[in-house]
Amino acid sequence: MKASTQKGRRGAIGACLVVAMAATLAACGSSGNKSSSGASGAKTSSGANTSNLPSGQPGKGKPPITMGDKNFEEEYLLGYLYTDALQSKGYTVTLKPNIGSSEIIDKALTSGQIDMYPEYDGVIYQVIAGHTDNPISAKQTYDTSQKFEQARGFTLLQPTPFQDADGVATTHAYATQHHLKTIADLKGVGPFTYGGPPENATRLQGVLGLQQDYGLTNLKFVPLTAGSQYQALDAGQVNSIAIFTTDGQLSTGKYAVLDDTKHIFGFQQVAPVVKTSLISSEGPAFAQILNAVSAKLTFPAIQQMNSAVVIAHQDPATVAKKFLDANGLG
Amino acid sequence: MSAFSAAFTFVIHNGHLLLTKTETHLAISFEAILISVVLGVPLGVVLGHIHKGSFLAINVSNVGRALPSLALLSVLLPVVGISRTNVIITLVVLAFPPVLTNSYVAVEQVDSDVVEAAKGMGMRTSEVIRKVELPLALPLIFAGIRTAAVFVVATATLAGVFGGGGLGDILFNEPSYKLSGVIGSSYVLVVLALAFQVMFKGLELAVTPRGLRKQPRLVPPQVVEPSVLQPAA
Amino acid sequence: MSGAAVAAASGPVIPHYGTSDSCVLHNGAFCWHWFAQNWGSLFQPKLIQHVELTVIALVIGFAISFVLALAAHRRRWLAPPVTFVTSLLYTIPSLAAFEILVPITGLGSLTIEIPLISYTLLVLFTNTLAGLSGVSAEVRDAATGIGLTRRQMLTRVELPLALPTIVAGIRVATVTIISLATVAAYVGNEGLGQLIFDALHSNDFNTQFLGAGGLAILLALVADGFLVLTQRQLTPWATARRPV
Repeated sequence: MKASTQKGRRGAIGACLVVAMAATLAACGSSGNKSSSGASGAKTSSGANTSNLPSGQPGKGKPPITMGDKNFEEEYLLGYLYTDALQSKGYTVTLKPNIGSSEIIDKALTSGQIDMYPEYDGVIYQVIAGHTDNPISAKQTYDTSQKFEQARGFTLLQPTPFQDADGVATTHAYATQHHLKTIADLKGVGPFTYGGPPENATRLQGVLGLQQDYGLTNLKFVPLTAGSQYQALDAGQVNSIAIFTTDGQLSTGKYAVLDDTKHIFGFQQVAPVVKTSLISSEGPAFAQILNAVSAKLTFPAIQQMNSAVVIAHQDPATVAKKFLDANGLG
Repeated sequence: MSAFSAAFTFVIHNGHLLLTKTETHLAISFEAILISVVLGVPLGVVLGHIHKGSFLAINVSNVGRALPSLALLSVLLPVVGISRTNVIITLVVLAFPPVLTNSYVAVEQVDSDVVEAAKGMGMRTSEVIRKVELPLALPLIFAGIRTAAVFVVATATLAGVFGGGGLGDILFNEPSYKLSGVIGSSYVLVVLALAFQVMFKGLELAVTPRGLRKQPRLVPPQVVEPSVLQPAA
Repeated sequence: MSGAAVAAASGPVIPHYGTSDSCVLHNGAFCWHWFAQNWGSLFQPKLIQHVELTVIALVIGFAISFVLALAAHRRRWLAPPVTFVTSLLYTIPSLAAFEILVPITGLGSLTIEIPLISYTLLVLFTNTLAGLSGVSAEVRDAATGIGLTRRQMLTRVELPLALPTIVAGIRVATVTIISLATVAAYVGNEGLGQLIFDALHSNDFNTQFLGAGGLAILLALVADGFLVLTQRQLTPWATARRPV
């Protein structure tokens, strides 16, 4: 371990760099993608840069960990990312992938089947904690979720820079033609169609919210079958679609994601939800490693990984490994 | 236990949603049943009358029964795409065999003496079929339609796998509707399946000529098959 | 330091994840190369998992059903209650059952197996009992007449005669489980069904739909065919083609 004075000076410079980096990334990464400025939400960390990554095998001899993940590709990636990073530092981790949706995996967590899993703090806020109001900031979302989990014996580690929230997208051409930057701009396009899965029709984070909070009475909902939104948009069957902001398809540049200025889709950074007692029993390196991985998960990073898995159909474990290796975390 | 009572609450509070989903579910089901009947009954009746094609008529049931429904749907996806058509084709492929087999066996097993007597009376082929064979065969034909119908209504849930409508939209959508929704919609599904069972059994009884109602029906030596009440078996 | 250099130094490195062939990128109907490449890591393990799930459910289900059927064969009054309970188990939709069981029986195979086994109970119990009861009174009388004990009657007369119906029940149970296990993957991530559901949120990947679905269909047909042959082997006197 380095001497504390050196660490202290490093920390100050580190903090300046982090702030500058956040500003730069926010500027470079946006191009119509709201959630790339997720760094402006709850801060990624104060000091979680890889120079703090512990060396050696701090995990050797520590108690085994069981990690789970949810039932979609981005969660598979997160599961592999966190597991792989811990394992390469000597931790004994068993990954149980594809457990189910939030409700199911939360039961698995609280009943002790798993010790931790990556969750979206907005999902904790609304689905698991059951708040019906819309949080007003990423920080509020994170803090409220943290309080909720801690009361149950779990802790959120530091959140990722990226957010994966619901969103609205159109083709690039449509957005240019109608000068669309935010969802509110849709008010001026006249009657338009919005496609999404059937249950979107009654969701506040869906048609209801768009009609009520954004006043988009000119919206006509078209129920689409799962996974066919992008095809429907490409084929011109609908003007706009419901998307997730980190969808791999969005990295092609063919689409424009409209800014959710009223935050009806909330804030959705990912943070590992960990049994609180585990954090101490696994030693300080445990949280450090996980936070180091999270810090690297920017919006472009996760979107490229999603694209590799969902569009190019690469194996998620391999994709995760490549990312970790490239960033000195593998 | 709380999950089961929460499901009841779901049903009570979501009447409109369940009604809409049930409507689509029934529409898909009836379309598939109708197509299977239109394709299967005439073919089975004709083959049974001429006593030909038993290998085909009977083994299509064996193969059809073995096909895993979701797998069949999945295999059709690259061909037909994600659509209602896909679900209908899958349901027809699965429902057609029992309808065909039962129609075939029903007509084929009509007592040949009766048929001979009818021919002896001077009836033409179409009359023999219409006035003699069909009335005697109808109960078994309807038994086949009943089997197919109950199976279709349970399997139509698969449309929900990709949001294609019907009660499956809720059953396969736990993230949106939670456990209470999944169990609640399955209550409705069970009720639907039972209703179909009762309705088609009633039809079957209605078409059984009075004289035959007390007699043991001509039943092909068949495996005892329970009605399929849960999705996609 | 310029902003860009800072970003390059502290932001993540995004590696190149490799190119895929154009068939995959354009979601062609079936990309043989991708299927072959991923056979060992993806399709084969899931196929084996599927077979395991099926076999375990069948073996346990048959064991339980057989015992119950023998008991009900001796004591007729047992038949209605057992039929009622197994029918009840049969009507609980598999998806609901799986999801309820997770907090109780955990995330392992047990959670999937319990509903699968309970679905086979009705078919196997009903058919085994029907097969045993189907032995005619004359045959039974003849057997008693030549001095067979009850146990001998069971093993030498009733069971062999019931075999066709029992195996027919096993056939139905087998293909039912294979089909159910495919749907079960929605909650329990095992077997070929998991590949189908994954493909649905992987941009509707056709090759995976066709591969996983095709394998499940093949598995069911092979299993069914194998059992038909077994049935014919075991009962040479009953090889007349019957509609089943």
